[in-house]
Amino acid sequence: MSIRILIVDDEPDFIETMVKRFTFRKMPVTAATSGIEALTLLETESFDVVIMDVRMPGKDGIETLKEIKKRAPLTEVIMLTGHASVESGMRGMSLGAYDYVLKPVDFEELLDKVRKAYERKQLNEGRHSAD
Amino acid sequence: MPDPIRVLVVDDEDRFRTTLVKLLGTQGVVAEAAPDGAAALALLSEKPFDVVLLDVKMPGLSGQEVLPRIKAIAPGTEVLVLTGHASVDIAAEMIAGGAADYLLKPCPLDELMGCVRAVYDRRRAVGPK
Amino acid sequence: MKDDTARTDPGTGAGPAVSPAARRERPRPLWPHTVAFPGLAALAVLAAVFLPAPLAVILAFFTGSLCVWSAVDMASRVRASERERSSLDAQLIQSQKLAAIGELSSGIAHEINNPLAVMAQEAEWMTHLMGRPDPTPENLAELRDSLSEIVRQVDRCKTITHNLLNFSRKMEPVPQEERLERIMEDMVLLVEKEAGHKGVTIARDYDTALPPIRTDVPLLRQVILNLLLNAFQAIEGRGAITVSTRKAGEGRVAIVVADTGVGIPPENLPKIFNPFFTTKPPGQGTGLGLSLCHGIVDRLGGAITVESEPGKGSAFTVTLPA
Repeated sequence: MSIRILIVDDEPDFIETMVKRFTFRKMPVTAATSGIEALTLLETESFDVVIMDVRMPGKDGIETLKEIKKRAPLTEVIMLTGHASVESGMRGMSLGAYDYVLKPVDFEELLDKVRKAYERKQLNEGRHSAD
Repeated sequence: MPDPIRVLVVDDEDRFRTTLVKLLGTQGVVAEAAPDGAAALALLSEKPFDVVLLDVKMPGLSGQEVLPRIKAIAPGTEVLVLTGHASVDIAAEMIAGGAADYLLKPCPLDELMGCVRAVYDRRRAVGPK
Repeated sequence: MKDDTARTDPGTGAGPAVSPAARRERPRPLWPHTVAFPGLAALAVLAAVFLPAPLAVILAFFTGSLCVWSAVDMASRVRASERERSSLDAQLIQSQKLAAIGELSSGIAHEINNPLAVMAQEAEWMTHLMGRPDPTPENLAELRDSLSEIVRQVDRCKTITHNLLNFSRKMEPVPQEERLERIMEDMVLLVEKEAGHKGVTIARDYDTALPPIRTDVPLLRQVILNLLLNAFQAIEGRGAITVSTRKAGEGRVAIVVADTGVGIPPENLPKIFNPFFTTKPPGQGTGLGLSLCHGIVDRLGGAITVESEPGKGSAFTVTLPA
Protein backbone atom coordinates (compact mmCIF):
# COMPACT_ATOMS: atom_id res chain seq x y z
CA MET A 1 0.00 0.00 0.00
CA SER A 2 1.73 3.19 -1.05
CA ILE A 3 0.15 6.18 0.57
CA ARG A 4 1.22 9.43 -1.08
CA ILE A 5 2.27 11.77 1.71
CA LEU A 6 2.99 15.48 1.73
CA ILE A 7 4.80 16.97 4.73
CA VAL A 8 4.56 20.71 5.31
CA ASP A 9 6.75 22.31 7.97
CA ASP A 10 9.04 25.33 8.09
CA GLU A 11 11.58 23.49 10.28
CA PRO A 12 14.16 21.84 7.99
CA ASP A 13 15.38 19.40 10.73
CA PHE A 14 11.89 18.08 11.24
CA ILE A 15 11.34 17.68 7.52
CA GLU A 16 14.63 15.83 7.11
CA THR A 17 13.84 13.37 9.91
CA MET A 18 10.36 12.71 8.63
CA VAL A 19 11.44 12.22 5.02
CA LYS A 20 14.12 9.75 6.15
CA ARG A 21 11.71 7.70 8.23
CA PHE A 22 8.95 7.56 5.63
CA THR A 23 11.41 6.69 2.88
CA PHE A 24 12.77 3.88 5.07
CA ARG A 25 9.23 2.49 5.18
CA LYS A 26 9.05 2.72 1.40
CA MET A 27 6.30 5.33 1.57
CA PRO A 28 6.46 8.04 -1.11
CA VAL A 29 6.87 11.37 0.62
CA THR A 30 7.17 14.92 -0.65
CA ALA A 31 8.22 17.88 1.48
CA ALA A 32 7.21 21.54 1.42
CA THR A 33 8.59 24.22 3.70
CA SER A 34 5.64 26.59 3.50
CA GLY A 35 1.90 26.72 2.96
CA ILE A 36 2.33 28.42 -0.39
CA GLU A 37 4.81 25.76 -1.56
CA ALA A 38 2.39 23.04 -0.48
CA LEU A 39 -0.48 24.60 -2.43
CA THR A 40 1.71 25.04 -5.50
CA LEU A 41 2.62 21.33 -5.34
CA LEU A 42 -1.05 20.45 -5.00
CA GLU A 43 -1.80 22.15 -8.29
CA THR A 44 0.09 19.48 -10.21
CA GLU A 45 0.21 16.48 -7.89
CA SER A 46 -2.36 14.78 -5.71
CA PHE A 47 -1.67 13.40 -2.26
CA ASP A 48 -3.56 11.06 0.01
CA VAL A 49 -2.48 12.46 3.35
CA VAL A 50 -0.98 15.83 4.24
CA ILE A 51 0.94 16.23 7.52
CA MET A 52 1.18 19.91 8.31
CA ASP A 53 2.42 22.16 11.06
CA VAL A 54 -0.06 24.72 12.34
CA ARG A 55 2.39 27.57 12.87
CA MET A 56 4.28 28.59 9.82
CA PRO A 57 5.33 32.05 8.65
CA GLY A 58 3.35 33.40 5.74
CA LYS A 59 0.31 31.27 5.13
CA ASP A 60 -0.22 29.39 8.38
CA GLY A 61 -1.49 25.84 8.81
CA ILE A 62 -5.12 26.79 9.28
CA GLU A 63 -5.24 28.99 6.17
CA THR A 64 -3.49 26.32 4.12
CA LEU A 65 -5.88 23.68 5.48
CA LYS A 66 -8.82 25.75 4.27
CA GLU A 67 -7.33 25.97 0.80
CA ILE A 68 -6.53 22.25 0.66
CA LYS A 69 -10.08 21.38 1.64
CA LYS A 70 -11.41 23.68 -1.04
CA ARG A 71 -9.23 22.31 -3.84
CA ALA A 72 -8.88 18.65 -2.86
CA PRO A 73 -11.60 17.95 -0.28
CA LEU A 74 -10.91 14.22 -0.12
CA THR A 75 -7.27 14.70 0.86
CA GLU A 76 -6.94 14.05 4.57
CA VAL A 77 -4.92 16.48 6.66
CA ILE A 78 -3.18 15.75 9.97
CA MET A 79 -2.23 18.92 11.84
CA LEU A 80 0.87 19.04 14.01
CA THR A 81 1.56 21.62 16.65
CA GLY A 82 4.43 22.47 18.97
CA HIS A 83 2.13 24.49 21.23
CA ALA A 84 -1.09 22.92 22.37
CA SER A 85 -3.81 25.38 21.62
CA VAL A 86 -7.24 24.02 22.13
CA GLU A 87 -8.93 26.74 20.15
CA SER A 88 -6.77 26.30 17.07
CA GLY A 89 -7.23 22.55 17.47
CA MET A 90 -10.97 23.00 17.37
CA ARG A 91 -10.74 25.35 14.44
CA GLY A 92 -8.64 22.86 12.52
CA MET A 93 -10.96 19.99 13.33
CA SER A 94 -14.06 21.95 12.45
CA LEU A 95 -12.44 22.93 9.16
CA GLY A 96 -12.02 19.27 8.32
CA ALA A 97 -8.64 18.19 9.68
CA TYR A 98 -8.50 14.47 10.35
CA ASP A 99 -6.49 14.78 13.54
CA TYR A 100 -4.53 17.22 15.63
CA VAL A 101 -1.25 16.03 17.19
CA LEU A 102 1.23 17.50 19.66
CA LYS A 103 4.91 17.60 18.79
CA PRO A 104 7.22 15.84 19.50
CA VAL A 105 5.32 13.13 17.74
CA ASP A 106 5.92 9.41 18.11
CA PHE A 107 6.59 8.15 14.59
CA GLU A 108 4.77 4.86 15.02
CA GLU A 109 1.71 6.69 16.29
CA LEU A 110 1.91 9.14 13.40
CA LEU A 111 2.17 6.23 10.97
CA ASP A 112 -0.92 4.68 12.48
CA LYS A 113 -2.80 7.96 12.11
CA VAL A 114 -1.64 8.28 8.50
CA ARG A 115 -2.99 4.80 7.77
CA LYS A 116 -6.33 5.61 9.40
CA ALA A 117 -6.54 8.90 7.50
CA TYR A 118 -5.84 7.03 4.27
CA GLU A 119 -8.54 4.50 5.13
CA ARG A 120 -11.01 7.34 5.55
CA LYS A 121 -10.03 8.78 2.19
CA GLN A 122 -10.67 5.45 0.53
CA LEU A 123 -14.02 5.05 2.25
CA ASN A 124 -15.02 8.53 1.11
CA GLU A 125 -13.87 7.86 -2.45
CA GLY A 126 -15.80 4.61 -2.56
CA ARG A 127 -18.87 6.50 -1.38
CA HIS A 128 -18.55 9.33 -3.88
CA SER A 129 -18.06 7.02 -6.83
CA ALA A 130 -21.40 5.51 -5.99
CA ASP A 131 -23.19 8.86 -6.43
CA MET B 1 -28.45 78.52 24.84
CA PRO B 2 -30.51 75.56 25.97
CA ASP B 3 -28.96 73.11 28.42
CA PRO B 4 -27.26 70.19 26.67
CA ILE B 5 -29.14 66.90 26.84
CA ARG B 6 -27.50 64.52 29.31
CA VAL B 7 -27.40 60.96 28.03
CA LEU B 8 -26.23 57.74 29.70
CA VAL B 9 -25.21 54.92 27.32
CA VAL B 10 -25.55 51.46 28.85
CA ASP B 11 -24.02 48.68 26.68
CA ASP B 12 -21.57 45.84 27.33
CA GLU B 13 -19.93 46.11 23.88
CA ASP B 14 -16.94 48.34 24.72
CA ARG B 15 -16.21 49.84 21.33
CA PHE B 16 -19.87 50.47 20.59
CA ARG B 17 -20.28 52.29 23.87
CA THR B 18 -17.22 54.50 23.62
CA THR B 19 -17.72 55.52 20.00
CA LEU B 20 -21.39 56.29 20.61
CA VAL B 21 -20.39 58.65 23.41
CA LYS B 22 -18.00 60.42 20.99
CA LEU B 23 -20.67 60.63 18.29
CA LEU B 24 -23.27 62.01 20.72
CA GLY B 25 -20.68 64.60 21.74
CA THR B 26 -20.66 65.94 18.18
CA GLN B 27 -24.40 66.60 18.54
CA GLY B 28 -24.07 68.83 21.57
CA VAL B 29 -25.05 66.01 23.94
CA VAL B 30 -23.22 65.44 27.22
CA ALA B 31 -22.81 61.69 27.26
CA GLU B 32 -21.46 59.18 29.75
CA ALA B 33 -21.26 55.42 29.59
CA ALA B 34 -21.72 52.35 31.77
CA PRO B 35 -20.74 48.79 30.78
CA ASP B 36 -23.52 47.05 32.71
CA GLY B 37 -26.72 47.50 34.70
CA ALA B 38 -25.05 47.80 38.08
CA ALA B 39 -22.67 50.54 36.92
CA ALA B 40 -25.57 52.35 35.27
CA LEU B 41 -27.62 52.36 38.46
CA ALA B 42 -24.60 53.62 40.42
CA LEU B 43 -24.15 56.54 37.99
CA LEU B 44 -27.86 57.33 37.98
CA SER B 45 -27.94 57.60 41.75
CA GLU B 46 -24.99 60.04 41.68
CA LYS B 47 -26.10 62.47 39.01
CA PRO B 48 -29.10 63.33 36.86
CA PHE B 49 -29.51 62.17 33.26
CA ASP B 50 -32.24 63.12 30.81
CA VAL B 51 -32.14 60.03 28.63
CA VAL B 52 -30.75 56.52 29.09
CA LEU B 53 -29.86 54.44 26.00
CA LEU B 54 -30.28 50.92 27.29
CA ASP B 55 -29.07 47.66 25.73
CA VAL B 56 -31.03 44.47 26.45
CA LYS B 57 -28.52 41.63 26.36
CA MET B 58 -25.85 42.25 28.98
CA PRO B 59 -24.01 40.07 31.48
CA GLY B 60 -25.29 40.32 35.04
CA LEU B 61 -28.49 42.36 35.06
CA SER B 62 -30.22 42.33 31.68
CA GLY B 63 -31.85 45.42 30.21
CA GLN B 64 -35.24 44.07 31.23
CA GLU B 65 -34.10 43.62 34.82
CA VAL B 66 -32.48 47.05 35.00
CA LEU B 67 -35.41 49.03 33.57
CA PRO B 68 -37.71 48.97 36.63
CA ARG B 69 -34.79 49.89 38.85
CA ILE B 70 -33.91 52.86 36.65
CA LYS B 71 -37.52 54.02 36.79
CA ALA B 72 -37.41 53.63 40.56
CA ILE B 73 -34.28 55.65 41.32
CA ALA B 74 -34.57 58.16 38.45
CA PRO B 75 -38.24 58.64 37.61
CA GLY B 76 -37.47 61.85 35.71
CA THR B 77 -35.21 60.00 33.26
CA GLU B 78 -36.51 58.64 29.96
CA VAL B 79 -35.30 55.27 28.74
CA LEU B 80 -34.74 54.36 25.09
CA VAL B 81 -34.00 50.71 24.43
CA LEU B 82 -31.19 50.35 21.87
CA THR B 83 -30.54 46.72 21.03
CA GLY B 84 -29.28 44.32 18.35
CA HIS B 85 -31.98 41.83 19.22
CA ALA B 86 -35.32 42.45 17.59
CA SER B 87 -38.07 40.85 19.57
CA VAL B 88 -41.66 41.96 19.55
CA ASP B 89 -42.22 40.33 22.92
CA ILE B 90 -39.31 42.05 24.62
CA ALA B 91 -40.18 45.37 22.99
CA ALA B 92 -43.75 45.19 24.26
CA GLU B 93 -42.56 44.15 27.69
CA MET B 94 -40.10 47.00 27.99
CA ILE B 95 -42.46 49.66 26.73
CA ALA B 96 -45.04 48.38 29.17
CA GLY B 97 -42.31 48.60 31.81
CA GLY B 98 -41.75 52.27 31.14
CA ALA B 99 -39.38 52.55 28.18
CA ALA B 100 -40.25 55.39 25.84
CA ASP B 101 -39.19 53.60 22.65
CA TYR B 102 -37.40 50.53 21.27
CA LEU B 103 -34.66 51.05 18.67
CA LEU B 104 -32.80 48.42 16.67
CA LYS B 105 -29.04 48.47 16.14
CA PRO B 106 -27.44 49.55 13.91
CA CYS B 107 -29.20 52.90 14.16
CA PRO B 108 -27.90 55.90 12.19
CA LEU B 109 -26.93 58.81 14.39
CA ASP B 110 -29.48 61.28 13.06
CA GLU B 111 -32.32 58.82 13.63
CA LEU B 112 -31.08 58.19 17.14
CA MET B 113 -30.76 61.92 17.85
CA GLY B 114 -34.22 62.50 16.45
CA CYS B 115 -35.57 60.02 18.95
CA VAL B 116 -33.54 61.39 21.84
CA ARG B 117 -34.64 64.95 21.16
CA ALA B 118 -38.28 63.96 20.73
CA VAL B 119 -38.32 62.13 24.03
CA TYR B 120 -36.47 64.96 25.77
CA ASP B 121 -38.78 67.66 24.42
CA ARG B 122 -41.85 65.66 25.36
CA ARG B 123 -40.58 65.22 28.90
CA ARG B 124 -39.80 68.95 29.25
CA ALA B 125 -43.27 69.84 28.00
CA VAL B 126 -45.07 67.38 30.24
CA GLY B 127 -42.85 67.68 33.31
CA PRO B 128 -41.82 64.72 35.52
CA LYS B 129 -44.71 62.32 36.24
CA MET C 1 -74.38 -3.52 10.87
CA LYS C 2 -75.46 -6.72 9.13
CA ASP C 3 -76.50 -4.59 6.14
CA ASP C 4 -72.97 -3.25 5.78
CA THR C 5 -71.48 -6.72 5.63
CA ALA C 6 -74.13 -7.99 3.21
CA ARG C 7 -73.07 -5.30 0.73
CA THR C 8 -69.49 -6.37 0.81
CA ASP C 9 -67.63 -8.76 -1.40
CA PRO C 10 -65.07 -10.31 0.95
CA GLY C 11 -62.77 -11.09 -1.96
CA THR C 12 -61.78 -7.49 -2.65
CA GLY C 13 -61.06 -6.59 0.92
CA ALA C 14 -62.84 -3.24 0.72
CA GLY C 15 -64.77 -2.27 3.81
CA PRO C 16 -68.14 -0.63 3.84
CA ALA C 17 -68.03 2.79 2.21
CA VAL C 18 -67.71 5.43 4.90
CA SER C 19 -66.76 8.96 3.87
CA PRO C 20 -63.42 10.25 5.20
CA ALA C 21 -65.27 13.05 6.93
CA ALA C 22 -67.50 10.65 8.79
CA ARG C 23 -64.52 8.52 9.64
CA ARG C 24 -62.77 11.45 11.24
CA GLU C 25 -65.79 12.59 13.18
CA ARG C 26 -66.54 9.25 14.76
CA PRO C 27 -63.99 6.45 14.97
CA ARG C 28 -65.34 3.32 13.36
CA PRO C 29 -66.43 0.76 15.95
CA LEU C 30 -64.12 -2.14 16.72
CA TRP C 31 -66.64 -4.33 18.50
CA PRO C 32 -67.91 -5.98 15.30
CA HIS C 33 -64.40 -7.28 14.70
CA THR C 34 -63.51 -8.14 18.24
CA VAL C 35 -66.80 -9.39 19.65
CA ALA C 36 -69.56 -9.89 17.09
CA PHE C 37 -67.77 -11.93 14.45
CA PRO C 38 -65.84 -14.18 16.80
CA GLY C 39 -69.10 -14.66 18.74
CA LEU C 40 -71.01 -15.51 15.57
CA ALA C 41 -68.26 -17.86 14.53
CA ALA C 42 -68.47 -19.62 17.90
CA LEU C 43 -72.27 -19.89 17.61
CA ALA C 44 -71.96 -21.18 14.09
CA VAL C 45 -69.53 -23.90 15.17
CA LEU C 46 -71.92 -24.98 17.95
CA ALA C 47 -74.91 -24.89 15.64
CA ALA C 48 -73.08 -26.94 13.04
CA VAL C 49 -72.88 -29.76 15.57
CA PHE C 50 -76.69 -29.98 15.64
CA LEU C 51 -77.63 -28.97 12.11
CA PRO C 52 -77.83 -31.32 9.12
CA ALA C 53 -74.71 -31.37 6.93
CA PRO C 54 -75.76 -29.08 4.03
CA LEU C 55 -77.00 -26.41 6.43
CA ALA C 56 -73.86 -26.72 8.50
CA VAL C 57 -71.71 -26.23 5.40
CA ILE C 58 -73.72 -23.16 4.35
CA LEU C 59 -73.34 -21.77 7.86
CA ALA C 60 -69.61 -22.48 7.76
CA PHE C 61 -69.16 -20.63 4.49
CA PHE C 62 -71.20 -17.71 5.70
CA THR C 63 -69.34 -17.37 8.97
CA GLY C 64 -66.03 -17.98 7.25
CA SER C 65 -66.68 -15.11 4.83
CA LEU C 66 -67.58 -12.82 7.70
CA CYS C 67 -64.30 -13.61 9.47
CA VAL C 68 -62.19 -13.16 6.33
CA TRP C 69 -63.85 -9.85 5.65
CA SER C 70 -63.29 -8.77 9.23
CA ALA C 71 -59.57 -9.59 9.08
CA VAL C 72 -59.11 -7.78 5.78
CA ASP C 73 -61.00 -4.72 7.01
CA MET C 74 -58.94 -4.56 10.20
CA ALA C 75 -55.73 -4.85 8.17
CA SER C 76 -56.68 -1.98 5.90
CA ARG C 77 -57.57 0.19 8.88
CA VAL C 78 -54.24 -0.53 10.56
CA ARG C 79 -52.41 0.29 7.30
CA ALA C 80 -54.30 3.58 6.94
CA SER C 81 -53.53 4.63 10.48
CA GLU C 82 -49.83 3.72 10.04
CA ARG C 83 -49.65 5.85 6.91
CA GLU C 84 -51.29 8.77 8.66
CA ARG C 85 -48.95 8.43 11.60
CA SER C 86 -45.82 8.45 9.46
CA SER C 87 -47.12 11.43 7.50
CA LEU C 88 -47.69 13.25 10.79
CA ASP C 89 -44.19 12.31 11.95
CA ALA C 90 -42.72 13.68 8.74
CA GLN C 91 -44.68 16.89 9.17
CA LEU C 92 -43.48 17.20 12.72
CA ILE C 93 -39.85 16.72 11.73
CA GLN C 94 -40.28 19.23 8.93
CA SER C 95 -41.82 21.83 11.19
CA GLN C 96 -39.13 21.20 13.79
CA LYS C 97 -36.53 21.68 11.08
CA LEU C 98 -38.18 24.89 9.94
CA ALA C 99 -38.37 26.10 13.50
CA ALA C 100 -34.70 25.33 13.97
CA ILE C 101 -33.84 27.15 10.74
CA GLY C 102 -35.98 30.09 11.80
CA GLU C 103 -34.24 30.18 15.14
CA LEU C 104 -30.88 29.87 13.44
CA SER C 105 -31.60 32.74 11.04
CA SER C 106 -32.84 35.04 13.75
CA GLY C 107 -29.85 34.02 15.82
CA ILE C 108 -27.47 34.96 13.00
CA ALA C 109 -29.26 38.24 12.43
CA HIS C 110 -28.89 39.17 16.09
CA GLU C 111 -25.28 38.05 16.23
CA ILE C 112 -24.34 40.04 13.14
CA ASN C 113 -26.22 43.15 14.24
CA ASN C 114 -23.64 43.85 16.92
CA PRO C 115 -20.56 43.98 14.69
CA LEU C 116 -22.65 45.85 12.11
CA ALA C 117 -23.58 48.44 14.71
CA VAL C 118 -19.93 48.99 15.66
CA MET C 119 -18.94 49.29 12.00
CA ALA C 120 -21.74 51.77 11.32
CA GLN C 121 -20.66 53.93 14.23
CA GLU C 122 -16.98 53.88 13.33
CA ALA C 123 -17.91 54.91 9.81
CA GLU C 124 -20.01 57.78 11.13
CA TRP C 125 -17.17 58.89 13.36
CA MET C 126 -14.74 58.77 10.44
CA THR C 127 -17.16 60.83 8.35
CA HIS C 128 -17.31 63.39 11.15
CA LEU C 129 -13.49 63.55 11.41
CA MET C 130 -13.07 63.93 7.67
CA GLY C 131 -15.55 66.83 7.73
CA ARG C 132 -13.23 68.89 9.91
CA PRO C 133 -11.50 71.77 8.09
CA ASP C 134 -8.05 71.32 9.73
CA PRO C 135 -7.22 67.66 10.32
CA THR C 136 -4.61 67.15 13.03
CA PRO C 137 -2.21 64.23 13.51
CA GLU C 138 -4.51 63.09 16.30
CA ASN C 139 -7.40 63.01 13.85
CA LEU C 140 -5.33 60.90 11.45
CA ALA C 141 -4.49 58.47 14.24
CA GLU C 142 -8.19 58.30 15.18
CA LEU C 143 -9.14 57.62 11.57
CA ARG C 144 -6.65 54.77 11.44
CA ASP C 145 -7.97 53.41 14.69
CA SER C 146 -11.58 53.49 13.51
CA LEU C 147 -10.59 51.80 10.29
CA SER C 148 -8.81 48.97 12.05
CA GLU C 149 -11.82 48.52 14.31
CA ILE C 150 -13.99 48.15 11.22
CA VAL C 151 -11.62 45.51 9.88
CA ARG C 152 -11.76 43.69 13.20
CA GLN C 153 -15.55 43.63 13.14
CA VAL C 154 -15.59 42.35 9.56
CA ASP C 155 -13.47 39.46 10.79
CA ARG C 156 -15.93 38.84 13.57
CA CYS C 157 -18.76 38.62 11.04
CA LYS C 158 -16.72 36.20 8.98
CA THR C 159 -16.30 33.93 11.99
CA ILE C 160 -20.03 34.00 12.61
CA THR C 161 -20.93 33.09 9.06
CA HIS C 162 -18.18 30.52 8.70
CA ASN C 163 -19.19 28.82 11.91
CA LEU C 164 -22.71 28.80 10.61
CA LEU C 165 -21.66 27.24 7.33
CA ASN C 166 -19.77 24.60 9.27
CA PHE C 167 -22.82 24.01 11.34
CA SER C 168 -25.09 23.40 8.40
CA ARG C 169 -22.61 21.57 6.23
CA LYS C 170 -24.05 18.19 5.36
CA MET C 171 -21.57 15.68 6.71
CA GLU C 172 -22.30 12.02 6.34
CA PRO C 173 -20.41 10.16 9.05
CA VAL C 174 -17.64 7.91 7.74
CA PRO C 175 -17.36 5.02 10.22
CA GLN C 176 -13.95 3.70 11.19
CA GLU C 177 -12.80 1.50 14.04
CA GLU C 178 -10.76 3.00 16.83
CA ARG C 179 -10.24 2.50 20.55
CA LEU C 180 -12.41 4.98 22.42
CA GLU C 181 -9.84 5.79 25.09
CA ARG C 182 -7.29 6.48 22.36
CA ILE C 183 -9.60 9.05 20.76
CA MET C 184 -10.20 10.64 24.18
CA GLU C 185 -6.55 10.62 25.27
CA ASP C 186 -5.34 12.28 22.04
CA MET C 187 -7.63 15.22 22.68
CA VAL C 188 -6.90 15.34 26.42
CA LEU C 189 -3.18 15.65 25.64
CA LEU C 190 -3.94 18.73 23.55
CA VAL C 191 -5.72 20.40 26.44
CA GLU C 192 -3.54 19.20 29.28
CA LYS C 193 -0.57 21.53 28.85
CA GLU C 194 -2.68 24.65 28.65
CA ALA C 195 -4.88 23.43 31.47
CA GLY C 196 -1.88 22.75 33.69
CA HIS C 197 -0.68 26.32 33.35
CA LYS C 198 -3.97 27.51 34.76
CA GLY C 199 -3.93 25.01 37.62
CA VAL C 200 -6.47 22.63 36.14
CA THR C 201 -5.70 18.92 36.40
CA ILE C 202 -7.18 16.27 34.17
CA ALA C 203 -7.97 12.83 35.57
CA ARG C 204 -8.68 9.80 33.36
CA ASP C 205 -11.03 6.97 34.17
CA TYR C 206 -11.01 4.81 31.05
CA ASP C 207 -12.57 1.37 30.78
CA THR C 208 -9.80 -0.26 28.79
CA ALA C 209 -11.82 -3.45 28.46
CA LEU C 210 -14.10 -1.72 25.95
CA PRO C 211 -13.79 -3.14 22.43
CA PRO C 212 -12.94 -0.64 19.67
CA ILE C 213 -15.82 1.62 18.74
CA ARG C 214 -17.08 2.06 15.20
CA THR C 215 -17.77 5.73 14.54
CA ASP C 216 -16.74 8.82 12.55
CA VAL C 217 -13.52 9.47 14.44
CA PRO C 218 -12.73 13.08 13.39
CA LEU C 219 -16.31 14.13 14.16
CA LEU C 220 -16.11 12.54 17.60
CA ARG C 221 -12.81 14.31 18.18
CA GLN C 222 -14.54 17.63 17.54
CA VAL C 223 -17.16 16.86 20.15
CA ILE C 224 -14.59 15.82 22.76
CA LEU C 225 -12.41 18.86 22.10
CA ASN C 226 -15.42 21.12 22.41
CA LEU C 227 -16.49 19.58 25.71
CA LEU C 228 -12.94 19.78 27.05
CA LEU C 229 -12.70 23.44 26.08
CA ASN C 230 -16.01 24.21 27.78
CA ALA C 231 -14.93 22.35 30.90
CA PHE C 232 -11.65 24.25 30.95
CA GLN C 233 -13.37 27.62 30.51
CA ALA C 234 -15.94 26.86 33.19
CA ILE C 235 -13.27 26.54 35.84
CA GLU C 236 -12.24 29.77 37.53
CA GLY C 237 -8.69 29.44 38.85
CA ARG C 238 -7.73 25.95 39.98
CA GLY C 239 -9.87 22.91 39.42
CA ALA C 240 -10.16 19.48 37.87
CA ILE C 241 -11.58 17.88 34.77
CA THR C 242 -12.39 14.18 34.78
CA VAL C 243 -12.77 12.24 31.54
CA SER C 244 -14.17 8.73 31.54
CA THR C 245 -15.31 6.04 29.16
CA ARG C 246 -17.58 3.14 30.02
CA LYS C 247 -20.10 0.71 28.66
CA ALA C 248 -23.63 2.11 28.58
CA GLY C 249 -25.94 -0.80 28.12
CA GLU C 250 -26.18 -3.22 25.23
CA GLY C 251 -24.17 -2.12 22.22
CA ARG C 252 -23.58 1.38 23.54
CA VAL C 253 -20.71 3.26 25.13
CA ALA C 254 -20.55 6.50 27.06
CA ILE C 255 -18.05 9.32 27.41
CA VAL C 256 -18.25 11.69 30.35
CA VAL C 257 -16.47 15.03 30.61
CA ALA C 258 -16.93 16.46 34.09
CA ASP C 259 -15.55 19.68 35.56
CA THR C 260 -15.40 21.46 38.90
CA GLY C 261 -16.38 24.72 37.28
CA VAL C 262 -19.04 27.33 37.89
CA GLY C 263 -21.86 25.07 36.79
CA ILE C 264 -24.94 25.96 34.76
CA PRO C 265 -27.97 27.67 36.35
CA PRO C 266 -31.07 25.44 36.15
CA GLU C 267 -32.98 27.96 34.02
CA ASN C 268 -30.24 27.76 31.34
CA LEU C 269 -30.04 23.95 31.26
CA PRO C 270 -32.86 23.42 28.73
CA LYS C 271 -31.35 26.06 26.41
CA ILE C 272 -27.76 24.92 26.60
CA PHE C 273 -27.78 23.07 23.27
CA ASN C 274 -29.60 25.85 21.41
CA PRO C 275 -27.73 27.56 18.59
CA PHE C 276 -26.36 30.96 19.61
CA PHE C 277 -27.08 30.47 23.29
CA THR C 278 -24.04 31.70 25.13
CA THR C 279 -23.14 33.25 28.43
CA LYS C 280 -19.90 34.71 27.13
CA PRO C 281 -19.35 38.43 26.53
CA PRO C 282 -19.89 39.77 23.00
CA GLY C 283 -17.25 38.90 20.45
CA GLN C 284 -16.05 35.92 22.46
CA GLY C 285 -17.43 32.71 21.11
CA THR C 286 -20.57 32.49 19.09
CA GLY C 287 -22.53 30.02 21.18
CA LEU C 288 -22.48 27.44 18.44
CA GLY C 289 -20.16 24.98 20.22
CA LEU C 290 -22.63 22.90 22.18
CA SER C 291 -25.30 22.99 19.48
CA LEU C 292 -22.64 21.80 17.02
CA CYS C 293 -21.79 18.97 19.43
CA HIS C 294 -25.45 18.09 19.67
CA GLY C 295 -25.79 18.03 15.89
CA ILE C 296 -22.71 15.84 15.47
CA VAL C 297 -23.68 13.43 18.23
CA ASP C 298 -27.11 13.16 16.63
CA ARG C 299 -25.55 12.31 13.28
CA LEU C 300 -23.37 9.68 14.96
CA GLY C 301 -26.53 8.04 16.26
CA GLY C 302 -25.90 9.03 19.86
CA ALA C 303 -27.21 11.33 22.55
CA ILE C 304 -25.73 14.09 24.69
CA THR C 305 -26.97 15.09 28.10
CA VAL C 306 -25.79 17.38 30.87
CA GLU C 307 -25.99 17.44 34.63
CA SER C 308 -24.94 20.50 36.52
CA GLU C 309 -24.95 22.17 39.89
CA PRO C 310 -24.09 25.87 40.05
CA GLY C 311 -21.01 26.32 42.19
CA LYS C 312 -20.10 22.64 42.00
CA GLY C 313 -19.58 21.86 38.31
CA SER C 314 -21.04 20.15 35.28
CA ALA C 315 -20.86 16.75 33.64
CA PHE C 316 -21.59 16.17 29.96
CA THR C 317 -22.37 12.60 28.92
CA VAL C 318 -22.24 11.42 25.32
CA THR C 319 -23.63 7.97 24.60
CA LEU C 320 -22.86 6.35 21.27
CA PRO C 321 -23.60 3.14 19.45
CA ALA C 322 -20.56 0.91 19.75
